[in-house]
Amino acid sequence: MRVANWFTPVIALARIAWLRTILYLFVILDMHAFVRDTRDKGEHPGLYEPLLLARLLDLPKPSVANTTVLYVVLIVACLLGATNYFPRVAGWIVAPAFTWWVLIGMSDGKVDHDHLALVIALWVLPTVKAGSRGIASYGDQTRSEAAGWAIRCIQICVIATYFLSAVAKLRSAGWALTWPGSAVLTWAIVRRPHPVGEWLLHYPWVLHVMQWVGIIGEFCSPVILWLKGRWQLFGALFFVGFHAANTAILLIHFLPTVVCWLAFAPLERVVPWYRSRRAARSAASARSASAAGSDGDAREAEDQTEHGRQAEQQAGA
Amino acid sequence: MVTQSQAPDVVRVGRVGKTVRVLVAVAGIGLLINGSVRASDDAWPFGPMSQYAMSVPDDARIDYTRVSAVTDAGTTVDVPLNIEGAGVARAEIEARAGEIVKDPSLLQQVADGWARKHPDQPKYVKLELIRDTTQLVKGKVEGPPTSQVLATWEVRR
Repeated sequence: MRVANWFTPVIALARIAWLRTILYLFVILDMHAFVRDTRDKGEHPGLYEPLLLARLLDLPKPSVANTTVLYVVLIVACLLGATNYFPRVAGWIVAPAFTWWVLIGMSDGKVDHDHLALVIALWVLPTVKAGSRGIASYGDQTRSEAAGWAIRCIQICVIATYFLSAVAKLRSAGWALTWPGSAVLTWAIVRRPHPVGEWLLHYPWVLHVMQWVGIIGEFCSPVILWLKGRWQLFGALFFVGFHAANTAILLIHFLPTVVCWLAFAPLERVVPWYRSRRAARSAASARSASAAGSDGDAREAEDQTEHGRQAEQQAGA
Repeated sequence: MVTQSQAPDVVRVGRVGKTVRVLVAVAGIGLLINGSVRASDDAWPFGPMSQYAMSVPDDARIDYTRVSAVTDAGTTVDVPLNIEGAGVARAEIEARAGEIVKDPSLLQQVADGWARKHPDQPKYVKLELIRDTTQLVKGKVEGPPTSQVLATWEVRR
């Protein structure tokens, strides 16, 4: 039972509401900035080579008609889902539609590995029943196991992206640890020339240190699932730094994974924090306005602080 | 001190709901492990995380494939292999290099893509698939790359 409960922590619905807005808007960005050639593939399906999932589901070959419909449906559903009105209906449209979008985008002989957490996030978000709608949902402190499960699934996929890439490094060498001492970063930089990277080519030992730090970090990444509070934050910052370094050296950003790190952030605290700050400020200005002070405002500020404390107690889950 | 009655509500899932959720999560983890241990990229999203996962030896030859074009303005240019450029990504060309060598007419779509996206710019009249090879010696780059033409295609109008 304890194991089962690990998969379903209680987390405030507000975190889901924030993630819906952020991730659905991110999908729109993704369609234009990252997996952005799906409609081109509809126009020229010459190099189309369907992936396993597309073959299993017998998905039609991309065409101008179906990729255009897919595009419009995704934009509309993402915008609707991002408002947190009808988020589940919108979410159940976005999940299969974006999966298909990415499947087409990656059906040309090259598969990127930065979309696992985002795609799974889109499939788990609509499983959570929303308590309140629209703006009110961002402050909804109702804690839910369904929300916790969705969050946990996203967290697992974020971590799996790192841990499993360490596994892939062992596997490609015939299950041996040769990757960190190899010339892989030199190879990558030569193939993606870029000033910072080319400068580093003169210092292969720096690249080897980076490879060791990278693979050790990837192997240890599952620990982050069990860390709490600021230690978990340090873990997240380590990997955000890891991506910043990759972007500087190789122009590989992994943003679709980076945005999913927000599943670890106590986003449900944003509204209570903002409210208590506003209340404290109005109480302070009321106090300075009249020497006698307004009891009512001060009491309200105290109430808000109490709210903030409640929210804090469920953070770190 | 916050008492239990003041705490926000907790919505639990039922026995069935919880069982299904745990099973789905465990199955997903199983698929991911299976993908990493034995599957290929074909199994996306449950394939291995194999980007940059290979061990490159210290004496490796590093190949870089590009497409060079002669334009109707008489210039020779490197074709921008991305969506905005010729509408084809470098990775696609690299993945299909063998096929292009066998059938250079596949390069026609590079010229078509460029012409369609940049109607006001010089057209490509001849395309060459070129492989630049950089030699590593003891893990360091040794000298400038050498180039080899793999395929040539006179563009059809």
